Order: sequence, then C-alpha cells, then structure tokens
Amino acid sequence: MKNISMDREKISTILYPLMFGVFVIAMWQSEALHFLMGADTFTLPLPTRIFTILTENLPKVLLNTKATLMVAVGGLVLGSLLGYLLAIIASTFPKWGMGGLSVVSAFNAVPIIAIAPILNNLTKDFSRDPNIRSMLAKTLVVMITCTVSMSVNAYRGFTELKPFSEDLMHSLAANKWTIFTKLKVPNSVPYIFTALRVSVPASIISAMVSEYFAEYIIGVGRMIRENIVLAQYATAWAYIAAAFVIGITMYVLLLIFEGICMKGRRA
Amino acid sequence: MKVIKKMSMTMALIAASATAAFASGQQAEEISYYEPGASIESIVVDAAGKGQVGNWGLGNEYEVQALLTKYGQPTTYLSQAFDMDGFDDDSILLASAMTYNELGLVKNSYDGGYSYGEGVSYIDMNDEGVAMLEDNLFTTAAFAAENPETVKAFIYASMKGWAYACENPEEAAEIVFNYGSSVSPEHQAYMAEQVKKLVETDTMGNMVRDYGKMDEAAMAQTLELAKTYIKLEDSVAASALEAMSLEDVMDASYWEMAMGSSGAFSPEKSEVSIQLKWLPQSQFMGYYVALDKGFYEEVGLSVNIIPGGGDIGETTAVYTGQVDFGVTWVSNLIAANAGGMGLLEVAQVYQRSGLVLVYKTN
Repeated sequence: MKNISMDREKISTILYPLMFGVFVIAMWQSEALHFLMGADTFTLPLPTRIFTILTENLPKVLLNTKATLMVAVGGLVLGSLLGYLLAIIASTFPKWGMGGLSVVSAFNAVPIIAIAPILNNLTKDFSRDPNIRSMLAKTLVVMITCTVSMSVNAYRGFTELKPFSEDLMHSLAANKWTIFTKLKVPNSVPYIFTALRVSVPASIISAMVSEYFAEYIIGVGRMIRENIVLAQYATAWAYIAAAFVIGITMYVLLLIFEGICMKGRRA
Repeated sequence: MKVIKKMSMTMALIAASATAAFASGQQAEEISYYEPGASIESIVVDAAGKGQVGNWGLGNEYEVQALLTKYGQPTTYLSQAFDMDGFDDDSILLASAMTYNELGLVKNSYDGGYSYGEGVSYIDMNDEGVAMLEDNLFTTAAFAAENPETVKAFIYASMKGWAYACENPEEAAEIVFNYGSSVSPEHQAYMAEQVKKLVETDTMGNMVRDYGKMDEAAMAQTLELAKTYIKLEDSVAASALEAMSLEDVMDASYWEMAMGSSGAFSPEKSEVSIQLKWLPQSQFMGYYVALDKGFYEEVGLSVNIIPGGGDIGETTAVYTGQVDFGVTWVSNLIAANAGGMGLLEVAQVYQRSGLVLVYKTN
C-alpha cells in the first residue's frame, strides 16, 4: 500500500511540471502566449523556428555549449573544492573561522560584471593564446562564485553536529582525525548538496556573464548577446534554449548524484 | 594598471632566467611596435598573424574583417573592451578606435586620456576602400508612411541642428555637455571637431554641404560589405540579407522633400522621441543643438532625446515603438531588417567611416 502511494507521488512530481511545460510550449506555439504578453513573433519567435535554427547550426551551437560547460564545470569543481578546504580550515580554528568565512562571503557580494573585467586583465600574461587565457579568466570568475556557498555550507556541516555526538567521540578517546573523518565529514554531506544546489545554477550564470567580457569570443552567453544586439532574436533564443538544456541537465545530474549519495539518509 | 605591469615585468624576468626560449618570446613582445613608414599591409599581416587585432564585436567588426580579408588574413579578432587598456598594455597591437572617441583618448592627455600623442598612427577604413557608413537617422517604414510630415519636420530640424553644430563645434560640445555627459568637456570638444569632419567629408575625401545626404555609392558599398561579413545563423534571415537591396533599407524622398521645403510642416504626431546609439556625447551633437536652439519647436515638434549605452538595442527600441526615431550604424539596420524589422533610413548624417585601427610606432 505504502509503495503504491509513494510511486504515485513520484509520478505526480514529474508529471505535473511536465504537463505544465507542455502546456506553456503549446501556448507559445499557438501564439496565445504572445497575445497574453503583448509580444510578437519577432521578439518571441515560435518554438518550431527556434528548433529549426538549433538543428541547422548544431555544430556551432555544440562548440559554444562545450566552451560554456567547460568553464562552468571547471569553476564549479575548483570553487567547491576550495570552499570545502576553507571550511575545514575554518572549523579547525573556530576562534577566527567564522569571521574569516564572513570575509570570504563578502566576495559573493561583488557583482560578476565587476570581477570579470578585472580577472581578464590579471590573466593576460598567462598564455599567448587568447582562447586559453580567456578560459582561465572565466573559470576563475565561476570559481569565486562557487567557493563562497560551499565554504559557508560545509562549515555548518562541520559544526552543526548531533547534540553530544562530539562529546561521545571524545569520551571514547577518539582523536581529532577520527572525529573529522567519522563524524564531521559524513555530517557535512547533506550540506555539500545544499551548497551545490545553489552553485550549479550559479556556475552556469557566472560562466555566461563572464563570456561577455572575455577577450576570446565564444560561449552560449556571448552568442545570446551578439545576436540580441544584431536584432537576431530567433538565433538568440536558440542559444537561450541551449543554455536552458545545460542548466536542466546539470541540475538533474546533481539530483541523481544526490539521490545516490544520500540513499538511506533522508527517508 | 602600472602595478600590474610591473608585476608582469618581474615575472618575465624570473622566466627569463629560467628558460631562454621563453625570454626571447617576451622580449620580442616588448619591442614589436611598428616603424612610422611601415606599409599598411605589413602592419595588418603582422598583427593578424599574432592574433592581436582588436574590435568590440557586436556588429562593429565588419570593416575590420573586410580589411583583414583585403590583406589575405583570417577574419578573427580579439574582443576589445570599451576602454583602451588592451591597447595600452600591448595585448592588442592593432586596436579599433573611432576617430572622435577612442583615438582622442589614446592621443590626448586630458582626463581619461592615455597621452600617446604622436607615438601612435592609424589605418583609415575610408582610405582602404572598406568604409561602411555609420550614424544615420532611421524610423520604421510603417511610421514613415503614416507620419510623413512628422518625419520631414524631424529631418529638417535635425539637419538644421547638425549644420549649426558643424559651424560652431565648440558651442555644440558645451550644449551636449550640459545635457548630461559621460566624458569631460575637453573630450566633448575634441569629439565635436572630429564628428564635424565625418559629417562634412565623404568616403572619397570630398566636402559635403548637404547635411544628411544619402550617398548612393557609399550606401551600396556598405550593403555589399554587410552581405559579405554579416554572418547570420538563422537561414530565413540569411536569405533575406542575401536578397536585400538599398530600397529595403533607405528612402531618400523624405530627406529630399524636407530639405527642399520652406520649413513649415503640419506634423501628424507632434511628440516624438529619438533613441541614440550611445551615451550623451558630441557624436550626437546635431540633435542636442536642435533641441537646445528650439529648432524642433519651430517645426511643431516636442522632442525627447533618449541616450543609449551598453547593450541598448536602438533598432529594437524603434521597432517596438518605444521611440519613434533612432540613430544606428547602417550595418546594424541591415542586420535588423534581415531579421524582419522593417526599418527605414531617412537620413545619413555621417558621410564617411569614423573607424580606424590604431597602432603604436617606434
């Protein structure tokens, strides 16, 4: 009985959003959406037109998608690792740890459009190949964005333990290393995913925005901008669709990964 | 910036002691400016070969690509920021500059300038035969058909403003500065002087006294280069671009009738707005002068000038009807019409290209 209701719940959580999506696309294609929003098919081209452009230019779209993905994933991995490391350091020295992390989170308040040009200038000597040095600058921007959410969340994972669990470990004569690996690290796992749920979408957004400022012209974000400025809205929408696919895919992958890692934890 | 430069030099020195090969590469970069008498071809080939030709992109790149093609180079370029730091720090050897704006910043030493003076030289797109026309005056074909008197009145008063501004560039620069300026008064004055040259000289270097005249030959060259270098991924828009003729982008009749008139109009719509392509600056001095001197009022118009900047899409703003008129580059209008916007150029204010490629000389 319980299993069937669980399945139903699962099906409805997938089915309802899917139905809503299909409904919106149907409204869009039939121009009902245009009527409601007062838009025209020029600024909001029909899905079929967007899809045609996507398929006709698949190699170019994939090339730009790959460039954006490499920056987003690279920055996400580097930033998350650095953030986790900072959290470890902060929790090891609790006296100034939280204060230090507050300073780190101040970085999060600096807008991407301010960091991106600065990093562009700082990385100019890195390589003679503009593609490579632009890639580094963009990855660093994403890294900074992702570091903060991971460090703050992982720190909570290390410090917000079950009541008395650390005292229990102490009373059993566990050393610091054992407490860290057997208690703190496992406790931080759900917090890692909390951070990633913020970082994954943020990494894609910051990758796309930093493409605006990069010396080398490539990436989904840059293509959206180029095409909108040239008033090529249908093509811009094709790249928006590509950005959408990147975002959804990375988020779904994260959820699957989370499901595997958290099996038996959240029941 | 200076601190960063010093750091990079120190790093270069450390690298020099480590590997001789790397050091020779760094040294070559330090002295690779051009001889004052070097041929344009040798400069273009050298800079393109090193991948150090810069442009802002976003529809400003076609003349540079045409020049690169002329000298047998690939059409790729570095994305240049809206300042000239990339040129200053040598990451861009051949940098795009507008004669009235970036070139002045590079040469002059007033606030915001880089003070290169005579240490730089430039390649002029007009001399190279790859000029495309820039700042125009446009509206939609539908608006022009419905409000012909408004369009004529607006052209008449605007061109009167341009004539006055070109006659009194110093005063025009002051007027623009007072309407809200993004740059210093000295730079506005410099800009006014340079814009006057673009408005009063055609691509061949001849004087033009008919402000806003549409030079068919220059327009045809612009369209031809646009067809070659505007790459559209949308196949529908690409074939529309392929089939485009000058009649699809311009109509000289409004300008001819306006300039041939006595100055009395009965505008169908008296409250109109114009979207500029960029921030308030002498680039658009004719419109500010016409507003300030009451030329618009004289023809029965109440005009609102809306500054641009950043990614403001002047073509989209006019297309959606947020504004009635706009200033854009002819190539941008061509791209927009390929997408199906139905815009119409009604006057061509700049008679020659203001784009140059600037380089440092030894």
